[in-house]
Amino acid sequence: MDPVTIDTTKIKSIKRKPVTALEKLEDTGLISTVLAAREREGLILLSTIDQVFNWARLSSLWPVTSGLACCAIEMMGVAMAHHDIARFGMEIFRASPRQADLMFVAGTVTKRMAPRVKQLYEMMPDPKWVIAVGSCASTGGPYHESYSVLKGVDLIIPVDVYIPGCPPRPEAWLYAIIQLREKIKNEGYGAKWGLNK
Amino acid sequence: MNPAEELKQKLPSAVVSIGIQVNKPMAVIKKEELLNAAQKVKEMGFDHLSVITGIDYMDHFEVVYNFFSYAKKQNLALKVITDHEDPEVDSLTSLWKGADWLERETYDLVGIKFIGHPNLVRILLPDGWIGHPLRKDYDMDTEQFVTIGEGGEDIVSTDGSNLLRRK
Ligand code: SF4
Repeated sequence: MDPVTIDTTKIKSIKRKPVTALEKLEDTGLISTVLAAREREGLILLSTIDQVFNWARLSSLWPVTSGLACCAIEMMGVAMAHHDIARFGMEIFRASPRQADLMFVAGTVTKRMAPRVKQLYEMMPDPKWVIAVGSCASTGGPYHESYSVLKGVDLIIPVDVYIPGCPPRPEAWLYAIIQLREKIKNEGYGAKWGLNK
Repeated sequence: MNPAEELKQKLPSAVVSIGIQVNKPMAVIKKEELLNAAQKVKEMGFDHLSVITGIDYMDHFEVVYNFFSYAKKQNLALKVITDHEDPEVDSLTSLWKGADWLERETYDLVGIKFIGHPNLVRILLPDGWIGHPLRKDYDMDTEQFVTIGEGGEDIVSTDGSNLLRRK
């Protein structure tokens, strides 16, 4: 089966002349990921459409409405008009984790709250990202030696970006958001799903 | 005359000593006389029981009651000393309804038992937590984790294997 026809005249430097359609496709350099094994029926290709997906995802990150402690006050600050994360298409704090793809872990993760935070994360549909905000969510912060506080939310859920500070200024949040957008821009889903060699 | 002196005058048998602590009049009360003294304190116009604290002094516990009078704008602190083995004092829930949660908190964190409390269970930590964390001999080396059970109840464990991503 030949899924795509390509204009071979555009291919300039060819070391070995591509013979099969697959080889021709790989040779164009337009395809970042070729998924299916050759011996399977048909081919699944992931091309630069990844970039389109990534662009869509990073332009409308919807955070889940959850705040755990004092850092959540700063989250309100970052959402309000002065710092205005609506500029990044993320002003819609979703009240349901089912509709969100970003979680700010804003505050102290106590032992009792930890399974709930984890449950909230597991309820979010893929793809999803987590920003650990403040010293508390990153390491336990001022409560590191405490009996009741988890020493970093990364013990229970994977974290993409950490923001230091107690609490971090809204500018630091904005920087973290920009870092996360940068990260999403460079994500390849073929690689993430493990189908790619 | 400050309220502590007044209390001593009214109930000389119950008051062990009086003094000033953090600018507040303070009276140390005999453990057996606590309910009597509290009754008198309420009659003196202290309508608000603002905080109950338990302090671990290694060989004994001290329970501190902080009262406030809205009418007179006065503070008063009562102290009761209990032994370290089996710390028990009478509950003040019959006089101040607000004592309910305060006593539960003191029970939860310091492990003082309040006799006559209607529902003396932990308030902040989940049931099954080992030890009372504000005691000096609390074991800080064993970390305890909480998970949610089938019915939504909290389960305390020391390994946290179904909560943590890695050990
Ligand atoms: S990092 Fe500081 S401001 Fe943020 S939740 Fe912890 S104590 Fe509060």
